[in-house]
Amino acid sequence: MMQFLKISLFLFLFSSCSLKTTEGLRTTLVSKTQVENLYFSDHAQDYIYKAKIDIYGRYFGGILIIKKLKKNTHRVVFTTEFGSKVFDFLYEGDTFTKNFIVPDIDKKFIVNTLQKDFKILISETAQVKEQFELEEIDVYKSEADKRFNFYFFNKENQRLEKIVNTSKSKEKVTILFTSKTENIAEKIAINHNNIKLSIDLDYFKKE
Amino acid sequence: MYKYIFILLITFLSVNVTAQETIMNASEIAAFKKQVSAASISTNTIKSDFVQFKHLDFLSDEIKTSGKLFFKTPGLVKWEYTNPYQYSVIFKGDQLLINDGGTKSNVDIGNSKMFKNLNQLIVNSVKGNMFDDAEFNIKYLKTPKANKAIFVPKDKKIAAYIASFELLFDKKDAAVLEVKMIEPSADYTRIVFSNRILNGTVNDAVFKN
Repeated sequence: MMQFLKISLFLFLFSSCSLKTTEGLRTTLVSKTQVENLYFSDHAQDYIYKAKIDIYGRYFGGILIIKKLKKNTHRVVFTTEFGSKVFDFLYEGDTFTKNFIVPDIDKKFIVNTLQKDFKILISETAQVKEQFELEEIDVYKSEADKRFNFYFFNKENQRLEKIVNTSKSKEKVTILFTSKTENIAEKIAINHNNIKLSIDLDYFKKE
Repeated sequence: MYKYIFILLITFLSVNVTAQETIMNASEIAAFKKQVSAASISTNTIKSDFVQFKHLDFLSDEIKTSGKLFFKTPGLVKWEYTNPYQYSVIFKGDQLLINDGGTKSNVDIGNSKMFKNLNQLIVNSVKGNMFDDAEFNIKYLKTPKANKAIFVPKDKKIAAYIASFELLFDKKDAAVLEVKMIEPSADYTRIVFSNRILNGTVNDAVFKN
């Protein structure tokens, strides 16, 4: 029995160390105390995206609207193509307010998942705990809500290309940014590893 | 209770926003309904451009999208957004046929009374013929150029989504010029129609996904 527990413990510890995110990365000295995600940082800007959501093979389209109201305060609203609101969230620092959500999807699990995803997406700064690198990328690890966020920056243009949200041992959410213009992410892909949920966002082209 | 006060307030506000608007009297309402009904009966197809403005109080600008609308009797409707993205939805019987930039999907609305009501609402508002007192509290207004009907849904489920909506009609031919849907939060969607072609040829192929 003791032997079994020992092996189990060993396996648990071993597996908890093997986070895929940092595989093949070199650990370096921490060069800055915080990193920034500037994609939703301009309060003069309306961030409007065409959204495609795939949840367990069920497909939804709509429009995602993100607006920075003031420092540390963002409004995140999702509407159908016809303009009717599906949900309306307010983030004020660590305070989250659900202004509105369509009753059909007002389930704790759905609200929590969406709330966390968009929190990662809009958070402007993160304190760096550890730092890693590869040839072309700098990776910064930060802690948030009992989980970790890994920020992947392109070394050459210093743009944020990816955020990976993890537990101690598993990747939970990956957010990919494609950016041609400074501080505007033209394409964003949010993918979940443990549930079949993906959100693809396309920035509205100005006429 | 708050909701009712709110709906009342919104209706009250929209009545008072434009000074030019006056409330129709009973005979004007009757004449207006008759005109819309006659126009509706003689309409077999509609082809129209539209521009949609989404107003959210916290945004700097309204969100503008545009496209084409197709209607064919008895109840085929297609909304086709072409700018800034390609998206179309066809209302066909109990089905919503969606094409989102090449991703096609069907939604069966057969079991949803809510969707059926919304569908009926859309078909009727396109045709302008929806003066159903059982479903809505309706207010009739006139301006020098247009007639306006304001609908406040009685169904609580619908009222959770739409506080009220307004249809603006051309005084001459009773064509729907604008649709405005006001949410309980007072944010709204305004759709403005233009280049309307009545009873032109609209092939059934338009309503295939």
